Amino acid sequence: MTLQGWVPEIGEFLTLAEVIDLAFDYRGNTTVVRADGTEIEGYVFNRDREAPEPFIQIFDAAGNGPMRIPYSEIRNIKFTGRDMAAGNSWQAWLERREREKVEKAARHETGPA
Amino acid sequence: MSVPLSQMWTVAAYVLKQKLSRRERYPLVLMLEPLFRCNLTCAGCGKIQYPAQILKKHLTLEQCLKAVDECGAPVVSIPGGEPLMYPQIGELVDALVKRRKYVYLCTNALLLKEKLEQGVLKPSKYVSLSIHMDGLREEHDEAVCRDGVYDRAVEAIKEALRRGFRVTTNTTLFDGASPLRMRAFFDEMMGLGVEGMMLSPGYSYSKAPDQEHFLRRGRTHDLFSKTLSNARKHWKFNQSPLFLQFLMGKRDYECTPWGNPTFNLFGWQRPCYLLQEGYAEASRS
Ligand code: SF4
Repeated sequence: MTLQGWVPEIGEFLTLAEVIDLAFDYRGNTTVVRADGTEIEGYVFNRDREAPEPFIQIFDAAGNGPMRIPYSEIRNIKFTGRDMAAGNSWQAWLERREREKVEKAARHETGPA
Repeated sequence: MSVPLSQMWTVAAYVLKQKLSRRERYPLVLMLEPLFRCNLTCAGCGKIQYPAQILKKHLTLEQCLKAVDECGAPVVSIPGGEPLMYPQIGELVDALVKRRKYVYLCTNALLLKEKLEQGVLKPSKYVSLSIHMDGLREEHDEAVCRDGVYDRAVEAIKEALRRGFRVTTNTTLFDGASPLRMRAFFDEMMGLGVEGMMLSPGYSYSKAPDQEHFLRRGRTHDLFSKTLSNARKHWKFNQSPLFLQFLMGKRDYECTPWGNPTFNLFGWQRPCYLLQEGYAEASRS
């Protein structure tokens, strides 16, 4: 299950703070939409909702930063970047390995006599 | 327990000093992560799952040393990512030795032989090469998701020992590990001549991509009890017997996250190495 591609709809059932928490847990770039409509793409590596003025910290897509953006200046966060954790489970590796073994054995069997 | 006397003495003196100054919470081991980049992609690893611009970055030498000085812990562990990919790893280790810090350089050893031949690292009583080994050949190559890594690591261990380095191993036990095979692995490592072995359970933590194979508490105790009961005399562990008893479920400890502060590209990780709840600008936070 990945949030890749998700554009949250903030409203009665989903708060901005919840979306920020999900963005903080997300292992990929996101696009932060500011209150003025401008956007910044990057990796949200920190958030502090207990600070006197809650904020997120982000390295942009070029690696510049860290930049600090107050919650009050954020309208939404879109999960636009590739989820780097998706498909990298151990199970996926075992399945890949098994597949390779079978393919190798099949090649061996059908090889030159 | 297999830690040199000078190291034990340094740590004991440091702890005593903290007690005398009535400091209840103090760091013992700084986890310094100069980069997240790695030349392996182990399925159990939660450290390398970042977008490219983050993986390309690393701390400067100055940032690393500032963190070491700010923290003050007598022991510095350098995990990663793969620290041998850090361009200034030689200078960093030299600077730590100058500060009389005991250094554990945690590496998957793929680059180790090459770095030793280039003279990037120098043997010292302060420096221990801590080699990531998750079991015998089959188990290790499976854990690191690449064939041939075990053999290269063994070759590098032999080379490091030949050059007079302190070498230890660090092993994570995941769900499904065979106690019998692990015991054979301990024999194998001691046969190579390593100074000691370090064990940890594959703790389940929220940022790791592979949740299924991490150990839950009950399974941890069961697995470690079977693996470590009737321990052979020649096995040496780089951990106190009390900690091994804890792993076997015979003893309880309170969590002391301030003992293991972690510094990386994002700052000081809250609250500790394993849990990633956020970052702070100062280690005291
Ligand atoms: S060698 Fe270590 S840092 Fe690299 S992928 Fe494996 S567990 Fe992660």
